[in-house]
Amino acid sequence: MKKFRAVVKHEYRKIVLKWTFLLGTLLFPVIGACFALVPAFIFSIKGEPTRIVIVDPTNKIGMRIRENLAPEKIAARTDQAVRDAVKDMPATQPGQINQSPMQGDASFVFIDYDPAGRTPEKIRQDLNEMAAANKIDAYLITPQSIDDYDAKFEFRSRKAGDFVAGNILRDAINDAVRSQRLADANINEKSVMELSRRVSIDSKSLDDRGREKDSDMLLAASFVIGLMIYITLAIYGQVIMGAVVEEKETRIAEILFSSARPYELMLGKLVGVGLAGLTQLSIWVISIAALIGFLAVQSDVTSLFGGMPHISPIMVGYFLLFFLLGYFAYASIFALIGSVVTTVQEGGQFAFPPVMLMLIGFYFSFAVIRDPNSSLSFWVSISPFFAPMTMPVRILAETPPLWQIALSVGINILTIAALVWLASRVYRVGMLMYGKRATVPEIWKWIRQV
Amino acid sequence: MSDKDVTLRVDNVTKRFGDFTAVDALCLEVRAGRVFGFLGPNGAGKTTTIRMIVGITAPDEGRIDFFGERMSARMQDRIGYLPEERGLYKKLRVADQLRYFAALKGLTGKEAERRIDRWLERMNLSEWKEKKTTDLSKGMQQKIQFISTVLHDPDLLILDEPFSGLDPVNVEFMIDVLSEFKQRDKTVIFSTHLMETAERLCHDIILINKSKKVIGGSLREVKESFGRNLIALRAVGGEEVLEDKTLVKSVAYHADEAEIEIADGADAQNILKKLVGSGAKITKFEQVEPSLNDIFIDQVGGEQ
Repeated sequence: MKKFRAVVKHEYRKIVLKWTFLLGTLLFPVIGACFALVPAFIFSIKGEPTRIVIVDPTNKIGMRIRENLAPEKIAARTDQAVRDAVKDMPATQPGQINQSPMQGDASFVFIDYDPAGRTPEKIRQDLNEMAAANKIDAYLITPQSIDDYDAKFEFRSRKAGDFVAGNILRDAINDAVRSQRLADANINEKSVMELSRRVSIDSKSLDDRGREKDSDMLLAASFVIGLMIYITLAIYGQVIMGAVVEEKETRIAEILFSSARPYELMLGKLVGVGLAGLTQLSIWVISIAALIGFLAVQSDVTSLFGGMPHISPIMVGYFLLFFLLGYFAYASIFALIGSVVTTVQEGGQFAFPPVMLMLIGFYFSFAVIRDPNSSLSFWVSISPFFAPMTMPVRILAETPPLWQIALSVGINILTIAALVWLASRVYRVGMLMYGKRATVPEIWKWIRQV
Repeated sequence: MSDKDVTLRVDNVTKRFGDFTAVDALCLEVRAGRVFGFLGPNGAGKTTTIRMIVGITAPDEGRIDFFGERMSARMQDRIGYLPEERGLYKKLRVADQLRYFAALKGLTGKEAERRIDRWLERMNLSEWKEKKTTDLSKGMQQKIQFISTVLHDPDLLILDEPFSGLDPVNVEFMIDVLSEFKQRDKTVIFSTHLMETAERLCHDIILINKSKKVIGGSLREVKESFGRNLIALRAVGGEEVLEDKTLVKSVAYHADEAEIEIADGADAQNILKKLVGSGAKITKFEQVEPSLNDIFIDQVGGEQ
């Protein structure tokens, strides 16, 4: 027991007392924020204005398109898109990426070109030449009649990849066509807008006692929690593997094994590194709690985010518990890999399967966010390997019955016991095998060895 | 020799890895206050035996007794083991490494600090205490490894090829520490294939080859049992004595010396007397013992 404590202390201090730990702890929130903000920022950078020629034989629709492409109109549209995005941000990451172009800005400069008296072929030829001479970037030829079924707008651009400008142009054309058709049918556009105005939906979910919970921020919180557990597991799993490989590579294992029992050493290592992970996670959780508290005081920010979900201390407790369950399951796999391979690089290749498992668990947490009551949510939240990412999310989203939480904890503890047993048997032999990587039959033999 | 003097007894120990028998029915006894040389070519089973002695692996058959008790994890604290391939944590400071290795042997707190400081001072490494392994030279690292082996003042010190890669100054230094241990009635086992060092340091030896014991016992006994009865002679004249087949079995002439193998039943004293009587001018007459190196080559090399 004394030696076990010595190992725990050694592993813990080795990580926590390093400046990289402090840096990582501080940097993670910053990096997280960057992941959220950088794409939006990049899309918000204005490109060069697009020089465009609009050829309109009817002389009607062209004017409307020009109006829709005016800077004020584009700015108003972008504004609306940003507001929508903030609302849906946490729920749909892929959705956010699609929305990003809408938040982007683009501007247009109209170049005059007089098509009078020229054939369509001649017009196209002229415009193509202008584009080739870098006088214009794009041109748009409107159809003779917008009411024809096969009416096509011809848009040609040198900057075909500029989907921001393309998007804005498409919307501007559609809006213009609609306005024109309404005008042609003698319908007042204003009253149509008024009639088709969308209502805003105030969505709140109910908890198990029928009280209202704010669902928007709940989703955000679930996402953050899933991500935090996933990242911490991935980092500390690799730390374990690195530590095991180092002891094997430097032959320190030989000295260690002559001083303490292998399972004492391995368990001490798992616990020591786990405590370091728990320390880091606790720092994050406490600082997030403090941040939420601070934001709650700033009432204007709260109104934008629609109020924070209520996270009780018992939820934080569950959260840390499931982190530990996940940690021990994955860390023993990483320890096993570490004791089989010969170098850190080799270990990196074999770390793929557990990392993949973690990632699948993380993706399952989205399914749980969408429908915490489904049978899929039930099964993934009690299964080994996935429960650590999905159960905390489920607890936050709907608070499942206690027996389900207990079942999940029980199943995961059994899994951990089996994995630790397996890993310590492989560790015992593998750590003293130098020179070559063990094959699967060899590993199987070590496991069965008394 | 009473049982009390026996630090370690390896009794009929066998270890197999699959079909390969790494150690085959090995017996040996190591006595307190003596230096025991564990000799043999690479792959003879030395390291496997040592791993069983220090409790890293268990023998398949036979038993290992340590101070009259069966070897167990509890006894590991009384052993200091310096493996042949050894290392340190790359990014850890010297003091932290030593603290950790000491703690794993049950030595903690002020006593550990005191001993760490004392050993570092003795090794002239005090100013390196807070440095990381990567800042240390190879020789310094070896010294740190050695300190970590002796820090908990073990009763039995096991050194696997301790001198490989050490510079002569450090070798002398280590030998000093070993003799100090010996004087305090502690026991040292070291394995080596440097026969000269073994000859200089060991009281007792065992030579193993291909998993089996070849010879063993005190250095004196071993050498006597290998008495090939050689004489190194530098002389002018006396040829007729050397040609006497009742006295001399064979003569090999080197640069300015002759190596004489004494005939069975003959005696070196008698040869000397005859030589002097024949009027030969003798500048050197030395009865040569076979060196450990000769014995090693004779026992091991011939088969390869």
